[in-house]
Amino acid sequence: MSKTLWTNQAELTVEAALAGEPQDSLRRRLLLGAIGAGLGSLLPWEIASAQALDKGTLTIAYPVDMPTWDPCAVSIPALQSVYQTVFDSPLRYSPSLKLQPRQIKEWKWADNKATRLEITLRDDILFHDGSRMTMEDVKYSLSDRPKADKKLLIGNMMSFLADVEVHSATKGVMVFNRSTPTAPIYLAFLAAYIVPKAYMSQVGGDGFIAKPIGAGPYRLVEHQRGSRVVLEAFDKYWGGAPAIKQVIFEIVPEPAARVALVESGRAGLAVQLPLREVQRLSTKPGIATKVYPYSEIYFLRIPSYVKPFDNEHVRAALHLAIDKAALSKAFYGGVAKPLSVMATEGTPSYVPEFKFPFDKARAVAELKAAGYSATNPVAITFLSTNGTFASDFDMARAIVQMWKAVGINATIEETTPAKFTEAAQSGKLTGLLLQSWANGTGDPENYVGKILDPRLRFAAWKDMALAPRIDALVTEVDEAKRIAGWKAMNVESAEKSWAIPLMQAVTTAAYSANLQPTLFDNGYVLPVEYKYK
Amino acid sequence: MFQLSLAIIVRRLAAAIPTLVLLSLVVFVVLRLLPVDPLAALLPPSATAEDARALRAQLGFDQPIPMQFLIWLWEAVRGNLGNSINFHQPVTSLIGAAMPATIELALVALAIALAISVPGGALAFVLHQRARETAADLTVTLLQSIPSFLWALLLIIVFGVLWPVLPFSGRVGQEVVLPGITGFALIDLLITGRLRDWSSALSHLLLPALSLALSFSPMVIRVLRSGLIDAAGEPYVEVARLRGLSETRILWRHMLKNAVLPTITMIGVQFGFLFSGALLVEMIFGFPGVGNLMVQAVKGNDMPLIQGIALLFCVLMLAINTVVDVLYALLNPRLRAP
Repeated sequence: MSKTLWTNQAELTVEAALAGEPQDSLRRRLLLGAIGAGLGSLLPWEIASAQALDKGTLTIAYPVDMPTWDPCAVSIPALQSVYQTVFDSPLRYSPSLKLQPRQIKEWKWADNKATRLEITLRDDILFHDGSRMTMEDVKYSLSDRPKADKKLLIGNMMSFLADVEVHSATKGVMVFNRSTPTAPIYLAFLAAYIVPKAYMSQVGGDGFIAKPIGAGPYRLVEHQRGSRVVLEAFDKYWGGAPAIKQVIFEIVPEPAARVALVESGRAGLAVQLPLREVQRLSTKPGIATKVYPYSEIYFLRIPSYVKPFDNEHVRAALHLAIDKAALSKAFYGGVAKPLSVMATEGTPSYVPEFKFPFDKARAVAELKAAGYSATNPVAITFLSTNGTFASDFDMARAIVQMWKAVGINATIEETTPAKFTEAAQSGKLTGLLLQSWANGTGDPENYVGKILDPRLRFAAWKDMALAPRIDALVTEVDEAKRIAGWKAMNVESAEKSWAIPLMQAVTTAAYSANLQPTLFDNGYVLPVEYKYK
Repeated sequence: MFQLSLAIIVRRLAAAIPTLVLLSLVVFVVLRLLPVDPLAALLPPSATAEDARALRAQLGFDQPIPMQFLIWLWEAVRGNLGNSINFHQPVTSLIGAAMPATIELALVALAIALAISVPGGALAFVLHQRARETAADLTVTLLQSIPSFLWALLLIIVFGVLWPVLPFSGRVGQEVVLPGITGFALIDLLITGRLRDWSSALSHLLLPALSLALSFSPMVIRVLRSGLIDAAGEPYVEVARLRGLSETRILWRHMLKNAVLPTITMIGVQFGFLFSGALLVEMIFGFPGVGNLMVQAVKGNDMPLIQGIALLFCVLMLAINTVVDVLYALLNPRLRAP
């Protein structure tokens, strides 16, 4: 029937134009014309904005949004770059992870038990509202606030801080209720930020979150949740006005979109990009790329309470059968450095002389010692996230094949951080777990000290005998002894495979060739250290 | 007419209350039974099990599930959906801030989808039982098989990288600060007379809206084509032809009006598709809507926020269905008969 209705497409077009009343047709044409002109007028502006390089502005394609502007409330590593940019930090790690003065210009222990830390604040620090930062702000932020509000994570990070004694506007003493020789590192770590007491008291917690004020090199201009954070250089910053006047963190969780932003010139810097995309971008003119290892590690967490992981021979076989160099080459371009201990090269508890071997024959022998063989293979469950860090699930599958080659049958179960945290806390982990571990300080206390502490809620290796040993090291005031102790625990842990270190994580960045970024070993993105050529 | 519309709205509202309560209960129980720790992202590495227990009690997660639900329901009735675990803000504020962006995106996507699918449906009808029908069918099938997030990536590559004419990140240009009057960027910028910023907002909407529209249109094209094929056999078409009306006029003035009824029903039913598609599309484009918020809530196991957004989606679907019923009644003379 439709054959009789239509002759050809041209008829449709012509008749459609003529079908209505003349006035209707005219109105329709005018409307269409107006819409066309309107849409057309948008294009030149967008082309211009995509191509122009404004050296006063840096747009950073960033994967994570800010859940809250109270920097003391959360301890998520991925947020620290933005928090440091807006709030600065009492101390800070250098690009090569050396603890350096920042808002606190001097610190020293007033006793030989590491319970009283004398600190001297700079006298030229201004908050973004122009008020001066004093020791009262330090006391309020580190001690008074977390005591009043237990939800603030800063209280947990500095759980042994009893008080901050204020001696003057710039001098004070942090008082701990036990030896805390590593206290200074926590002044450069998660949640340790100084907020303005007067402003916070005036506007309250909600008011502060709505309009935060820090003392960092950039002040917050606008936050469109899930979209972007707009920052403006603070010209009264104690370290001098930043070279780049405006910084915009575009929140782009999708890696392909981050790649597109830097490739199209709409972002001057994009971070945490897929390795293969970085390799492709490196061939593009005007784009520089960087793939570099940083202070995060990939490792296998082993639940001591699940059979057969309680068997030392099985654990040894699991460890010996993994070719870490091959994994690095396959998934991280060989840039991720294989690890024998849970510390990265250059950090205090790294043990360069200790190498855990890749030895399939020894793995088979260990399995035999445990009573397993090719005809009686050991079966285990292997938990892995998928997409939580780069190539996690792919690496898990490769490890399964390596184990299969020596007679270990592993079944992969996909999990999420929330799931395995719940399972670990309730003692219901079903198998060993591939995990990444961030440590912005590089200190062993936050590597092996936390990973093996049986009392922590996500602990898997629940050997309570380790608790007093860890406490002894955490409170050891002799730095040489402290580091030696952690190194020894690192080696023992690897030899007995309480946890299996795999490799140092890598991170990636692609940026305009006109930009000169300083890249930090803890992966922080701090635009105050960037400038254009 | 007005009485009929009112009757439909009242009937729908009466049915909505038990639906909302039931859905809330299902979502609430499912979320609580998941083996995940909602506090995973809230506690630092040094937290002990005791710290976790204390925080759980502080947030009310230590109560039995029925009690948690009753408390939640009572507060929800009073307009309080609780506080987001991750964002440390009231759920209603977060949703209220994000909702206009998503509605705006969905409506622009719907407009683009209609602009594509009405002529597309007519063209598919014209090609019915012709040589090029198979090619048209294949094209529609191909379009239908590409999900919206893939369209998003393809459009970014084409219009963002290869031919960089459209923005693909955010809701407005970096230089634009939204006035925040109604929350709808296009309306706010228009009523404040900021036409250049308005065009920035519109250009930022185009690619995400097109991503949603391209995966939505094929369904509309198919239903409209079927409706037109059915209508073509009706006696009034022959009568119109005998009156000497052109085929084009018959199609656009008479057949389309009848064929559009099942299409409207389908659009209403499938409108939720645009919202679910917005989950990933908003994330890819860094678009600050409810979809983006939902992705962040799910990633962080933010139960109060997930619960709030699920409730909102339910309310939206009920509202859309009511609108569709009213429209259907207005367009269908048989339903208007006494």
